[in-house]
Amino acid sequence: MGIRQEPEQELIAAAEGGDEAARARLVSSFMPLIGSMARQYRSSAVDREELLQEGVVGLLRALRRYDAKLGTPFWAYASWWVRQAMQQLVAEMTRPVVLSDRALRRLARVKEARRDYMQANSREPSVADLVEATDLTREQIERLLAVERAPRGLDEVLTGEEGATGTLGDLVADPVAEDAYERALELANTDSMGDLAEGLGERERLVLHAHYGLGRPARTLREIAGELDLSVERVRQIEEKALGKLREAAIWPETA
Amino acid sequence: MDSAHSHAGLRHNAFVYESSDQYQGRVAPFLEEGLAAGEGAVAAGSRDRLALIRDALGSSSKRVTFLETGSSYTRPVRTLGLYTQTLLRELRAAPSVRVAAEVQYGPTPGDWQEWMAYEAISNCSYAHLPAWLVCTYNGEALPDEVRDAVWQTHPQVLEDEWHESSHFEDPASVVRARTPEPEPLPHLRSLPPGEDLEGFRERLAGELSAASVPQRRALEMLVAGTEVARNAWEHGGGPDELRVGRVDGRFVCEVVDRGPGFDDPLAGYLVPDEDRQQGAGLWIARQMAWLVEVLPASPGVAVRLWA
Repeated sequence: MGIRQEPEQELIAAAEGGDEAARARLVSSFMPLIGSMARQYRSSAVDREELLQEGVVGLLRALRRYDAKLGTPFWAYASWWVRQAMQQLVAEMTRPVVLSDRALRRLARVKEARRDYMQANSREPSVADLVEATDLTREQIERLLAVERAPRGLDEVLTGEEGATGTLGDLVADPVAEDAYERALELANTDSMGDLAEGLGERERLVLHAHYGLGRPARTLREIAGELDLSVERVRQIEEKALGKLREAAIWPETA
Repeated sequence: MDSAHSHAGLRHNAFVYESSDQYQGRVAPFLEEGLAAGEGAVAAGSRDRLALIRDALGSSSKRVTFLETGSSYTRPVRTLGLYTQTLLRELRAAPSVRVAAEVQYGPTPGDWQEWMAYEAISNCSYAHLPAWLVCTYNGEALPDEVRDAVWQTHPQVLEDEWHESSHFEDPASVVRARTPEPEPLPHLRSLPPGEDLEGFRERLAGELSAASVPQRRALEMLVAGTEVARNAWEHGGGPDELRVGRVDGRFVCEVVDRGPGFDDPLAGYLVPDEDRQQGAGLWIARQMAWLVEVLPASPGVAVRLWA
């Protein structure tokens, strides 16, 4: 799962650099993994759609910070942010019973052990089985399970001729997830820093983009002057003013 | 959260808490005391942490500026800019400001190095502002390396009570120690840098376009490159070489000059003067590029910009 169609690092750089199509492809590639993680945090207090959207928020946070030079694969890095975003949503939605980060990690461990056990044995594990699988105490597990109130229907294991084949939730088409995916793509394309060029006038933008080939072939100042029916000197003045505005906006880009 | 020491300018402290109750029980009164004294108040944290503060402050929370840290802790230099702007805005309405900020130090040792350097820089970046900044850390999940660095980067730390840090270190030394040495990139292509700033921009723009760098990032790189090239002309005897290529999926360019170079780990991290004359160039380059590295060249210095 993850990205198969193109070199991952180039897609990440393009997505982080503001290429909306690249962002959409990146989110699309990781939605199955985000969906899989969302199952661990589903409860009566937080629905799947909210978890998926929060997962995308986490993915985009990872995107803005990820440094490929450090050698960590993207999902190994991003999954921490996705998990944190979901945990924080759960913590916020389940107040006043706020679980600490540590308790949430333990709960995730218990649920993973429960899922593994069910897939291997096709039946619910006992508390003793979970104690053995997680190294947590009976009391810790009972307390965590009491806090957790997840509906169980979609976690039900399906068994075929070759044994467990996954859960009902893995196989059933999930219209909620599809809606959430659409909204997540919208989110992916709006969660970026302010547009540096926002403060430019139309003519300033046109001159800069034409001269430096931004989104179109580069032109000389003389060619641009001819197109706009202005003198070369006047076009140069427009460009200088535009560059001055960009410089001011660049001092505080996050609040631009 | 009364500190044993008071300062006229910046107080940059840390608070390591062990539970949500402890966080709420210390941070909410800290902000409330400031509000009662006519100070501004800023709370930065994850949504669940901010919810705790809102609950505890009740109607007073309307006078607090809340920042969600997931979107504000992106790249350290941008966070410095964002906080500076926020503090300046608060200080237009109040004589001083209190801030409780949960630092998003991230999951990997590489992140920790970067954000602990940010904490060290904070001592200098906000030094001119009448602000009491308390960085909060959840001790339950705090890696030992980060916990140690908290004491290196904050003059005072609150655990059960305030402690003067005997491990506090000179910020520049911390930044130097925690900034990785830039690796040489011998495969970058060498190009003439152009005769003047306009020629430089045309050359760089052509390379950005050929490398299919997204339009928004290309514009940011043009602004960053212009500043670095301008510095090279003003302080480094002029650019000697422009080197470009792709590394780890990103477009990279280096501006190599012939000057004496500089050896200041805080260069470009301090907010420029209001007249934009001192220190603005490298600050802008750091704000615009994804990463800026400075490395010695022979002769001169190379400033490397990552798109």
